[in-house]
Amino acid sequence: MSKHPENQTERMWEMFDNLNADKYPLKEYKHIGQRGPRRLDGLAKATGQADYTMDVQLPGMLYMRFLASPYPHAKILKMDTSRAARLPGVRCILRYDDPELPESENFGKVAGFFGNDRPLDGVAHFEGQPMGAAIAADSEDIAEEALSLLDIEWEERPFNLDPVAAADPKAPLSYPERYIDGNYWNRGAYEDKAHGDVKKGFAEADKVIEFKINRTANTWVGPERPCGVWKWNGDQAEIWLKHQRPHMAKRHISGWFGGSIPMNKIQLHMPFQGASFGGWVQVDWNLAPLYLAAVVSKRTKRPVKYILNRREDFFGGSMDEGVYFVKVGFKNDGLITAVDATLYHVNAIWPVFSTVLHLYDNTRIPHLKGQTKSIWCNKGPTVPTRCEMLPCVLTQTMVFDRVAAELGMDPIEVALKNDGADGHDMEWLNQQKKERGFEVRDSLKECIDKGKAAIKWDEKWHKPGAKKLPNGRLHGMAFTWAHEWDDSLGGGEIALRIERNDGSATILGMRCDNGVDAENSYCQIVADELGYPLEMVNYNPRFDPGFFTMTPDSSTNMSVNGFAVRHAARIVKQKILESATSPTAVTQRGGYQPAFPNLKPEELDIKDGAIYVIADPTRQMPMADFVRIAGESGPLATDENLGVRTAWSEPLFAYAFQPQHGGYNPHNPRPRLCRQAHFMEIEVDTETGEIFVTRVVNANDVGKVINRMSCEGQQYGGSIMGVSRAKLEEIVHDPVTGVMLNGNLLDYKIATMKDLGPIDTILVETGMGYGPYGLTGIGEDIGTVVPGLVPLAVYNATGKWIEEMPVTPDKVLKALGRE
Amino acid sequence: MSKEIKSFTCPYCGESHAAAEDLKGHVFKSHKGRGLPAPEGRIKLTINKSEYEFHVKPNWTLYYLVHDKLGLTGSKQFCDRGACGSCAMIVDGRPVLSCMMLAIECGGRNVETVEGIAADGHPLIECYVKNHAMQCGYCTPGFVVSSKALLDSNPDPTEEEIVEALSGNLCRCSTYPQHPIAVREAAGMLKAAKK
Repeated sequence: MSKHPENQTERMWEMFDNLNADKYPLKEYKHIGQRGPRRLDGLAKATGQADYTMDVQLPGMLYMRFLASPYPHAKILKMDTSRAARLPGVRCILRYDDPELPESENFGKVAGFFGNDRPLDGVAHFEGQPMGAAIAADSEDIAEEALSLLDIEWEERPFNLDPVAAADPKAPLSYPERYIDGNYWNRGAYEDKAHGDVKKGFAEADKVIEFKINRTANTWVGPERPCGVWKWNGDQAEIWLKHQRPHMAKRHISGWFGGSIPMNKIQLHMPFQGASFGGWVQVDWNLAPLYLAAVVSKRTKRPVKYILNRREDFFGGSMDEGVYFVKVGFKNDGLITAVDATLYHVNAIWPVFSTVLHLYDNTRIPHLKGQTKSIWCNKGPTVPTRCEMLPCVLTQTMVFDRVAAELGMDPIEVALKNDGADGHDMEWLNQQKKERGFEVRDSLKECIDKGKAAIKWDEKWHKPGAKKLPNGRLHGMAFTWAHEWDDSLGGGEIALRIERNDGSATILGMRCDNGVDAENSYCQIVADELGYPLEMVNYNPRFDPGFFTMTPDSSTNMSVNGFAVRHAARIVKQKILESATSPTAVTQRGGYQPAFPNLKPEELDIKDGAIYVIADPTRQMPMADFVRIAGESGPLATDENLGVRTAWSEPLFAYAFQPQHGGYNPHNPRPRLCRQAHFMEIEVDTETGEIFVTRVVNANDVGKVINRMSCEGQQYGGSIMGVSRAKLEEIVHDPVTGVMLNGNLLDYKIATMKDLGPIDTILVETGMGYGPYGLTGIGEDIGTVVPGLVPLAVYNATGKWIEEMPVTPDKVLKALGRE
Repeated sequence: MSKEIKSFTCPYCGESHAAAEDLKGHVFKSHKGRGLPAPEGRIKLTINKSEYEFHVKPNWTLYYLVHDKLGLTGSKQFCDRGACGSCAMIVDGRPVLSCMMLAIECGGRNVETVEGIAADGHPLIECYVKNHAMQCGYCTPGFVVSSKALLDSNPDPTEEEIVEALSGNLCRCSTYPQHPIAVREAAGMLKAAKK
């Protein structure tokens, strides 16, 4: 039986301490870490019964579509809506100059991206920007047709697409309404403060190299497109919304219309999310249209639904787009002395991290300097897509492998030599592990050893361009590494209720299901903590019980919510055991006998969903029997005068919460302890330039596995997405007109089932995570780290560096001199 | 001035005749006893073993008819048009992209959706759940439908054949490695059930 300190509050504060090793792990794990479990959402999703916002249909519902700017930078001078208004089936037209629309409103902006303040702008800053007019009609087709009947006089303006050119003071202004001094956003500049002295570091180096990476625009491609439905029920709002952060959306909504809709009058449905890879919810993509739906719904007295089309969903991209300039100094033995990197970042919505952040986080490199220059171009916003760490891990990967290549060393050797944290070596880091109560283990080496064995690195790795296969293709291998991360966004609150009648446990928390099966992980924790079979625990996150539960952001599903749900489970368990030794239920005239008379709570435990006496396990009572006696009359009034022996009992319920500590900045109070290592094997066809990824190996030290299949899903899923990004994905704009040329899934390729060979998923468990049971996150990192492997593997295969991603066949042929 | 009618077309078979009397004779001779031909846009079809009759507009897709009009929302729209397989349905035994097929072409056809596959208790459903062949789940019904069509025509597919058959279905969560496992397992269950 786990020990329950008498002072709950004290114990809770201990649990808030996630700067150290978990002091309260379980001795045995029954459900935690097992293969499976059966997905809670599985049947609904496999049978097509799962509901998504895109599927919502309500009686009398109108469909709203938006004008998309045909120019990359233009202002509406005049707009005549009369022809559109005459089209049968058009019910409402909102114009950009409608007096009811505010100049400024909060749609979830983080750092004031352009166009973010107004629900419907009269100026477009990128081609395809929803702006100018919103039309609601009886069908999407009618609304679409009505948009084509708008008569608009435009003022076309000069535009920028290339970030380096846009940074030139002579370049035209991308956004003159807000940034009149140039296209360089001061608030978006992030320069790391002194971490050593790079000049000194370069002077100490035996060799200094410089290189460039150009990462072109790419995007998230969420299967369910941004969409929402607004329905007024009197003065109360009923909303369906695709949004990764339902509580944040609700908070923003409550501030609209002068703050006239209190939180408790907003009924927010959170259907399943057709994938959501993070950041796009931070721009006005989804909330500004929802605002317009609210206005139109009020005017028409009808529910209003909007869906962005596939092309409109392309106007926004991943926040690694930009041009990177990197300078590295190193010793002849592979020890890196200094890195100085600058990133010209395109339209980054919150470019608050320098591009060398990962080198702070998990290396001993003593002298670092990094800066991002956020440059406004006339393209859509770029946001964290899977993770905002994309630029940082790409830089880290390139730094290590460039150094290894220059020295003719195995990149693994260079990685192990420079492992550390915050500029300190492994000796310092091991001391940190010890002081914080962790077992001292070499996470990187453990990951590398397992990964190397899986891909047969020692047997297969070779010098660049040195191996031709019998099929005529060149063979390439690549390795990269990083720390494993769960970062510090937000806290989580979760409640747990033991149901009347059958004793099953229900987890209550307001979040969204985006497919990572975290809900099951919480159930596994509750089952093990309560002593329940897994089938007796359920979490349906698709309704709003009001508890702000951490969303899938920042890989903090488990490190925050895991603590919260564990704490709730422990409090509930204590309540169960206390009530088992107290009068089971109350009647008007007294109480029932305790279920376990003359015993103390600590003399009981729960196993397989039954309370039992520790000294005599044959004395037991299933939870269903226990709660049934206590509440069998349900909420009906108890009345012994009628001769009915009815009773009532206190609900078995608890809430708990977990604020997050730590964070990703150079002054992180939690040095990174867990590592990950990734390996890739490819073949390159020198005639066609095609790259065949024949194997990927992921070795992730997640500290402690909770939901094994979910972790593996993030590994192979992230690997495929990562390879897809690095090999295939690129949004192309016409340099002459500024128009996007491939905003559809035929011309913008994402990986299919045929694009990758086998993926080995290895999970390492050192227990060195700061989360419950020693876990750390896994959701964001693989899809973020893996893209960098592709150019490395191509280098190993061909001996040529390709400095632009994606690495497409034409670039390979060019590098091979076969254009 | 009224336009001169040069030919008279049979509403049953489309045959042309020079005069109204000729057409009349033809109808009596060839189509006697049949009811009036269906008005334009009226179709009868079978969906998941049930008979339906609709009056469809010429621009309606099969997806729109089934998803929006019939309310069987298991089929999903991911790519918007013709690229992802999420709206897959089986029409007369062949998997089709329902967003690319006009509803008006479906008169007399037999349509099977994920709801029908689930209602039949097909082992694919359980194998998909058990093997976590899904994450967000949005594309999952399309995969189930494509897999069912494969198993109908090839009850014991190799991994390569499964990959080939499902390579037209996109999954952004990239659950790809789990699908061949699920499909092979379902094939095994179907085989065992036949014995």
